[in-house]
Amino acid sequence: MRLQNKFVIYNALSKALIVGAFALLLPLIAEKIAYRHIDNRLEARKDLLIRKIQLGGLDQALLEEDCSFDDYNIFKEEFISIQPLSNEINHESDSVQINNEIWSIDDGNQQEHRVIRQSFLYDNQWYELNIGEGVTAINQLKKTITGFSVWSMAIIVFISVFLDLGFARFVLRPFYRIVDRKLRNTNNPLNFEFDQVKTGTYEFAYLDESINSLMKKIQEAFNIEREFISNVSHELLTPLSILKTRFENLVTDPATPQATAIKIMESEKTVNRLSKIIKALLMISRIENEQYLKNENADLSSIVEEVVEELEARIEAKPVKIIKNLESFEYLSCNKSLIFTMIFNIVNNAIKYNKQSGIIEITGRRSGNEYFLSVNDTGRGMNKEQVDLIFGRFKKLNKDDDNSFGLGLAIVKTIAAFHQITIKVESEIEKGTSFSLIFSNKK
Amino acid sequence: MTVLIVEDERSLSHEIEIFLTKEGYHCDSAFNGAIATQRILENNYDFVLLDLGLPDTDGLLVLKEAKAKGTESAFIILTARGDVDDKVKGLEMGADDYLSKPFSLTELQARMQAILRRKHGLKSNTLQIGDFLMNINNRTVHFHDSLVPLTKKEFDLMHYLALNRNRVLTRMQLIEHIWGDMMDDEYDSNFIDVHVKNLRKKLSAHSNIDWFETERGIGYRFNLPGT
Repeated sequence: MRLQNKFVIYNALSKALIVGAFALLLPLIAEKIAYRHIDNRLEARKDLLIRKIQLGGLDQALLEEDCSFDDYNIFKEEFISIQPLSNEINHESDSVQINNEIWSIDDGNQQEHRVIRQSFLYDNQWYELNIGEGVTAINQLKKTITGFSVWSMAIIVFISVFLDLGFARFVLRPFYRIVDRKLRNTNNPLNFEFDQVKTGTYEFAYLDESINSLMKKIQEAFNIEREFISNVSHELLTPLSILKTRFENLVTDPATPQATAIKIMESEKTVNRLSKIIKALLMISRIENEQYLKNENADLSSIVEEVVEELEARIEAKPVKIIKNLESFEYLSCNKSLIFTMIFNIVNNAIKYNKQSGIIEITGRRSGNEYFLSVNDTGRGMNKEQVDLIFGRFKKLNKDDDNSFGLGLAIVKTIAAFHQITIKVESEIEKGTSFSLIFSNKK
Repeated sequence: MTVLIVEDERSLSHEIEIFLTKEGYHCDSAFNGAIATQRILENNYDFVLLDLGLPDTDGLLVLKEAKAKGTESAFIILTARGDVDDKVKGLEMGADDYLSKPFSLTELQARMQAILRRKHGLKSNTLQIGDFLMNINNRTVHFHDSLVPLTKKEFDLMHYLALNRNRVLTRMQLIEHIWGDMMDDEYDSNFIDVHVKNLRKKLSAHSNIDWFETERGIGYRFNLPGT
């Protein structure tokens, strides 16, 4: 899951939690406050009324209050009721109760009221005073507030998710820019872009700097390796060239007896073999170091034709029959000579491991942006373990095969990887081997 | 013909000198860049064979300075460094050819002759081989008036033997010249024999080719004394 989405979800949930709690609490608080107000009011009225009764008598007080014994003000949803109590029971004048009660007023309409109740003694008679105030309005208010809270919570969470999403996207944009520019689009460390990606976020600037400094180290290592390759190649190939030229001079010297000349020639072959191994390793290493350019376009069918022409002598010497069935295809942004080498090595192998009068079938089919090239031989074939080994370096499949250096297919693999060409090998003992390559032009 | 061999590896320089002297070239040697530059400016060599990895300087700088001073010598770069860029750079700076080490001396000589032909702009660039006339520019071989149809490789083979006439060319030298480094091994270096056989057949259809000799176990030779 994307970081920005995680943040947004976390934010939305935490907001919903807080706002939800608030929405639940708000009506309760409102209710509490409303009751406190009512209670205070009821208390004040009760005190006032009792004081009036004590001073001016019950009738006077009722007169002033504009109410009777059992008075009810329907508009104010208020009532005052004074009921005489039986004197046989002991009453306490200071016990005040405030409760929610259902009172049935006048028309028998039952309504919930906040009721304050106190007993008092007047004229040797106990009375019970009830002052009530309707709470329907409060319940209504509570409902309204609850509804409002729930809706506003939903709206707030909804809006904030969008705002968060936008903001997260905005804040994370430099991160994706760093990854795209510095990591994903860098195939060769030598082409790395060192300029900083613009960002106001410290962490991203830190990441950017860290990648830059890592890349600097990789570039240094790269250059050291390049230098090393160049030095090794110089140090090994120079002595070989002394040997080679000396052997050559000896072979062509008329004073050298023929038998000796043949031995010297064999030595020269060994020198050649050594130098080819070194050159092959250097080639692999240079390809892996991206020292080759990919700036040419090549028609693959004509490269195959060239390869076959180049190998004509071997085809004839073996002999094998070549069957070509090639559609043309312009392969873009490649290194022509490497592609040539790759196909050459594959076809060369197909000749080398074929049986006498065998067949090599080379087929090239294009399909949109892709080209499928297959080279099938009727050679000795390989078992599964051998197929797994063939692209490794210095792997000899047959112990009695002295001349194979096992680098031809390692080069093939390196060139294919360099061009992102897919290679598949299928083989069956005594039936033959099939190499399939998929070339793809990127849009 | 005068040649300056710029190579710090003395044994190698010596072997090149032995070979070229036998071929009738007059050779000088320089073992570092400073002496090389000095010699190039003092003498008007026909060829400078230039190693790039010199002890005191980069061979490319020697080439650059020599070219800046207007020398007319032909430069052949001989290098074991083998950086992909080196070849391009060397040729851009005005080198005439490039050989990577280890190279074959006969190949070196063939390159030198090719440069000579190019420099002197020989229009009738032909070689008389026995009764055959090779036209190097058109890459054709004629027996009197009739064309001998040769494949590209057969022509290369004949040409290389002709350039090195009276000397045995080993199979390896022929393969290296014709296929470069492409042949990854010598599992059947005899395949060169197929080409030789085909070439012989085409030539002998017209004339006696006793001069086309096989040195058993070694290679082939055009034995044409006096040419």
